Amino acid sequence: MKNIDSYGHLRGESLFVDDIITRHDTLFGLVFDSPKAHGKIISVDYTKAEAVKGVIKIFTHKDILGENQIGGIIQDEPLFAENEVHFWGQPIAFIVAESEFIAKKARALINIEIDELPIITTAKEAKEKGSFINPPRSFKSGNTQNSFAECDYVYEGETFSNGQEHLYLETQGSYAVPMENGNIKITSSTQGPTIVQKTVAKVLGVNMHKIEVDVIRLGGAFGGKEDQATAWAVMTALAVQQLKKPVKYILNRHDDLRMTGKRHPYESTFKIGLTKDLKIQAFEVEFLQNSGAAADLSPAIAERTLFHATNSYFIPNVMSTVYSCKTNLPPNTAFRGFGGPQGMFVIESAIAKAANEIGVNKRLIQEANLIAENDEFYYGQIATQVEAQKSWLATKEEFNLKRLEKEVKTFNKENLQFKKGISLMPIAFGISFTNTPMNHARALIHIYQDGSVGVSTGAVEMGQSVNTKMLQVAYNTLGISPLKVKLETTNTTRVANTSPTAASATADLNGKAVLQACNSLIERLKSVACKMLSVTESEIIFKEDQVFVNNKKSDLLWEEVVTQAMLERVALSENAHYATPVIHFDKTKEKGHPFAYHVYGTAITTVTVDCLRGIYEIDAVKITHDFGKSMNLGIDVGQVEGALAQGIGWMTMEEIVYGKNGQLLSNSLSSYKVPDIFSVANKVDIIPLETQGNDMAILKSKAVGEPPLMYGIGTYFAIQDAVAAFNPNYKPKFHSPFTPEKVLISLYEK
Amino acid sequence: MAKYNLMVNNTPYTVEVSPDTPLLWVLRDHLNLLGTKFGCGIGQCGACTIHLDGTPTKSCLLTVSLAEGKSITTIEGLSEDGSHPVQEAWKEIDVPQCGYCQAGQIMTASAFLIKNPNPSREEIREAMHENICRCASYNRIEVAVEKAAKKLS
Repeated sequence: MKNIDSYGHLRGESLFVDDIITRHDTLFGLVFDSPKAHGKIISVDYTKAEAVKGVIKIFTHKDILGENQIGGIIQDEPLFAENEVHFWGQPIAFIVAESEFIAKKARALINIEIDELPIITTAKEAKEKGSFINPPRSFKSGNTQNSFAECDYVYEGETFSNGQEHLYLETQGSYAVPMENGNIKITSSTQGPTIVQKTVAKVLGVNMHKIEVDVIRLGGAFGGKEDQATAWAVMTALAVQQLKKPVKYILNRHDDLRMTGKRHPYESTFKIGLTKDLKIQAFEVEFLQNSGAAADLSPAIAERTLFHATNSYFIPNVMSTVYSCKTNLPPNTAFRGFGGPQGMFVIESAIAKAANEIGVNKRLIQEANLIAENDEFYYGQIATQVEAQKSWLATKEEFNLKRLEKEVKTFNKENLQFKKGISLMPIAFGISFTNTPMNHARALIHIYQDGSVGVSTGAVEMGQSVNTKMLQVAYNTLGISPLKVKLETTNTTRVANTSPTAASATADLNGKAVLQACNSLIERLKSVACKMLSVTESEIIFKEDQVFVNNKKSDLLWEEVVTQAMLERVALSENAHYATPVIHFDKTKEKGHPFAYHVYGTAITTVTVDCLRGIYEIDAVKITHDFGKSMNLGIDVGQVEGALAQGIGWMTMEEIVYGKNGQLLSNSLSSYKVPDIFSVANKVDIIPLETQGNDMAILKSKAVGEPPLMYGIGTYFAIQDAVAAFNPNYKPKFHSPFTPEKVLISLYEK
Repeated sequence: MAKYNLMVNNTPYTVEVSPDTPLLWVLRDHLNLLGTKFGCGIGQCGACTIHLDGTPTKSCLLTVSLAEGKSITTIEGLSEDGSHPVQEAWKEIDVPQCGYCQAGQIMTASAFLIKNPNPSREEIREAMHENICRCASYNRIEVAVEKAAKKLS
């Protein structure tokens, strides 16, 4: 089944926040933010701005009736700065005017005086100064110290992976409208409708039931709208609370880039120990996460980094520690992979370093250490239905790795200016929110009396086609045509207390709830149909909009059963709740079974580097991916293609630059480059790995949003391979992104 | 403020706006043609692409005064029912993910294919590289443009 939104998308009819009908008296908001990264606010003079014709009111922390607090995991982030600013771009005030143009004019007239304080921009510096978000966390298995003493090879090294701007094409935005009795309805571009609702209620000092949050769809999010869509929604709601008029705020691109957090940069150090047969015996790693000026989701992201510190390898002795370092950058946040990619980059770097020092092909070490059935992940979960080795072998065979390696070798022998490189990248990504209490969802399904169906869930559609999957679950379970089913907007009044659409788990959690609700409805309709046909329940099923008796089509239509159910006063609506079973994690011991299952896969990446210019092309990425039993291969393959490109962007070209003063320098699309059509691999081959699927996944179709991003890490090492083929003096460094500039320097280092 | 007569999707409109108003905002805020999207405002993402006398043009950089007297086509005017060969190809390949950039992609592709009905992969990339898709549906865009070319010929 194709994406159900396609038709609207390609006619420009799909609605995003900025496209919905607004009331004629709608006002427009604009944030005034800090022009310094750290300092005491001496004074802010709004008089000139307030005097601009058409400015209605400028809101500051003084106007907040509830709490000036939007922090989620830790309450450490004010909506508006009060006495101090902690990052460049920190919101200080919210200008509301008759038009965006007027608000902009007013913003330029605000005078602020800041007494600057010393700033920290890197994680290392923060650690030296003891500036942390929360205490560090460590996971441990075996005994690394003893093990290192017995290893034949021990190497140490350091890595850096830079941040990544989400660059959702639709910028952040919110539209809030006053309803009766002080209620407010907000249409937000958020992955977390409940987070918005809860935070608005807290800041406004009202109960959650006064606030309705509706989400139609997002024009991309990638994690950037999980926590960081909230502030703008709260500001519009705050203005509505006091002005009693609708208020809209759509961020312009520069404001969005400047004020929002990104993927966390990580500075890390590692120590890896191997025996002669290339078995990794011990691995120690210390991650310094650059969290920015407030916690946001950093502690949860740090946790996932630890979970993925060993990627798809079994290592008996591991010691990992992560520090969430508080700096004067905008609070960094979720980004597809959620700390997993940063963790995996380090273990892959450690393996590359060891391979280089020992003088063996990196893939031999990778292959020797892949996790096997019943091995224990170092956080205590026993690995079952493991596909690591299977996907590795399938990739080698399906794509004829030997031939590819030979082609690279031959090419490099025959060419001086151009060199090819090749790498393998296995992935193992855990599915579930690592915070166990978040793994739940609900679905509300109405069968209308004409037989059509409306499905509401907590899932937010943001391009991952979750609505298409929900529709598939519903129509297949009910046995009716997909045309009879409609996916409703995501709305807190229909489905409450939702977890954000994140962690790749949304289709599983919400899909299972849809499945349960549909099954309950079918049970009720079956008992109605039985009476109509004088048969027993076990004899009938619903299929093709009809009732089948003993697998034979009867004359009884779906609509007729629904009509009869109405007459018999049978409930045609159902609400179902699903909570992932089995999973648990004990944070006091840092052991448990946090994931419903893992997603596996292996990618081969080949690149060609122009050794005169330092530029490169990605020739091909060939992947065997564990989709489980994919319920929609077209959509799932699209997710792999897209995630791969984002991973490649993170590893190669996307370079976030902050000045020493904490100002974002890569602050526009002209200075921050994301992959365009030239940057993707010339060829992407994706083969679904044949597996049994997993019962914890919806219809055994495994989660697909995040895992394939990490195939992009392979590109870093393929480029490194090509560089080494050109320059025998090259000492591998692990400092991403591997921009053409860095490639050029590496090609000619002595 | 000044009055401008615009021809959009073969329909005449008169709008009263400041001369330096980008056409994008005239389309969206005054004519309610919402398929054309704002992405960056500096002509670097392509989400706002329309046709100006048949040429793909970024409407965020084009002031309304420069658009007067020209034929403007937006995604809403490309076809009445989504049956333009580029749209058909897009549907068959199932290109869109979040959808936000897709109107711009389709406008660029449809103008390009009139000038170059039989493009190579390299020419497709050259034509489409100014349209950013953060979901990175690029592999499918390439295939869909090829498919649309076949449909058009």
